[in-house]
Amino acid sequence: MVAVNNRATPWAARSWAAVFIAPAVALVGALLVLPFLFTVYRSFFSDDGLSRSWVGLDNYATLVTDESFLRSLLNTGIWTVGTLLLPVLLGLLIAVATNSSGWGRFTRFAVVLPYALSGSVTAILWNFMLQTDGGVNAILGLLGLSALEQPWLLEWPTNTFAMILATTWQATGANMILFLVGLQAIPTETIEAGRLDGAGGFRLLREVILPQLKPISIVVIGISLVGSLKTFDIVWLLTRGGPGTASETLALTMYRQTFTLSRYGYGAAVAVVLTVIVLAASWIYLRRQLRSDD
Amino acid sequence: MARRLRNALLVAVALLWLLPTYLVVVNAFTAADEYVGPRWWFTSFALAENISTAFATADIGQAMWNTFLYSAGSALIAVVVAALASFAVVIMPVRRPVLWFWLIYAGTLLPLQVFLSPLFNAYAATSLYDTQYGMVLIYSALAVPFAFFVVRNYLTTAPKEMREAAQLDGAGWFTMFLRIHLPLARGAMVAAFLFQFLATWNDLLFGITLSTSPNVRPLMAALAELNGQYSGLGPPVILAAGLVASIPTVVLFLSFQRFFVNALRLTP
Repeated sequence: MVAVNNRATPWAARSWAAVFIAPAVALVGALLVLPFLFTVYRSFFSDDGLSRSWVGLDNYATLVTDESFLRSLLNTGIWTVGTLLLPVLLGLLIAVATNSSGWGRFTRFAVVLPYALSGSVTAILWNFMLQTDGGVNAILGLLGLSALEQPWLLEWPTNTFAMILATTWQATGANMILFLVGLQAIPTETIEAGRLDGAGGFRLLREVILPQLKPISIVVIGISLVGSLKTFDIVWLLTRGGPGTASETLALTMYRQTFTLSRYGYGAAVAVVLTVIVLAASWIYLRRQLRSDD
Repeated sequence: MARRLRNALLVAVALLWLLPTYLVVVNAFTAADEYVGPRWWFTSFALAENISTAFATADIGQAMWNTFLYSAGSALIAVVVAALASFAVVIMPVRRPVLWFWLIYAGTLLPLQVFLSPLFNAYAATSLYDTQYGMVLIYSALAVPFAFFVVRNYLTTAPKEMREAAQLDGAGWFTMFLRIHLPLARGAMVAAFLFQFLATWNDLLFGITLSTSPNVRPLMAALAELNGQYSGLGPPVILAAGLVASIPTVVLFLSFQRFFVNALRLTP
């Protein structure tokens, strides 16, 4: 380090730095890092909140054979694939279609508005829409499609798909905005050159636009992936994971094991599995972030 | 022809997206005792009665005030704490800045569920459970990592000459922070504040885990209760409450769209 301050020694500067950094480290350390470490530790115990005994990897071994956990893992997988297919793909298509169109502003506004709603409000709204005597069935009836009317939230896997559609309604706007940011960064000359080469419509999209959108796509996919793995609010409010535990995601399984059944050790093991999956998925995003940091 | 087809498609998409919102608004206006199934058109204008029923039953007004305190308070605390830490990591001569960066940033990578049960136990043991202080504390901690990330990224672009000029003037670290870097990072701090304000406003998980009484409970937890225990009140009341709960976020979002786009690109 260069001469830091004409009055202070480097040692004094370092203790000042400690003063500046202490509040952040204290808050994050005490309320996030320590609880995280304790969850990992607790996952090796059988713990009902009153007494605790070491069981090693037993909780994890039980998970592998636990039907409801495997179902929850499957549901989390369906959510991940579903939110990559629908909100990401629709976000991309709507962004491309509205980028240079007069009607685009109207469509963009309509699609982005739900993004301002919380997961809980989205759930309340779709609870009204998806009830058996609710909005969706009423619309279907009005269109003469009564044959398609059904109890959307009462059976698995219909309820999981219905909830993914509700999330699509809310989340597509954010992806669309990000893709629009990416589209506007493409130099006009690149697109003009593509046009001159005779590319139009889908060929222009595939050969010129999509390759240019690669960096932003990685960000969008990273965000969606991590977000879908943590799905909680909408399922909690729409089905509580039901019927039974059929539509639970990992986040709900952890919550139920811990707070409803007081199986703290087992719930901790579910949380650790979720963490490992989330960190692995974040890697896609982080790798890029780290590279741009250098 | 292709253009006309595309425009028609775009309008169809827009209408499809607006349909649920429209139905919600119409039915939030329907008088609760007249409701027999989803309405298509305004038949009564009972929004105010529906809202006051929701406020009276699930204490939505108190919950909104709580959430406002938590969102504003914790976003403010987090942004100031994050700015101090960013200044230390970027500008001051700390040893191992990368280690400190990761220690603070790691908080945003972990799924929230992993913090829950130890926090619940610790809050119960320290009588922070079901208190407003406890809620501000956890929401502040949750907001620090991302705010730190945004402000730090911004400060790394600050020209070095500024620091050197200030040092020649004999300014101490604190003066330098207040006079130079705090004003410099103002834009990043506003973005981080807005983003964390909304994140806290929308939280359900910590609200249902760390609080229970109406005096402490945040808005989304109160809405969840209204939607669950009081579903007998009927959709109009619940939808009206949902509409009221969304007004602040929709207004904030529409007025500061640019900030959100920038902050969104950085979310992990």
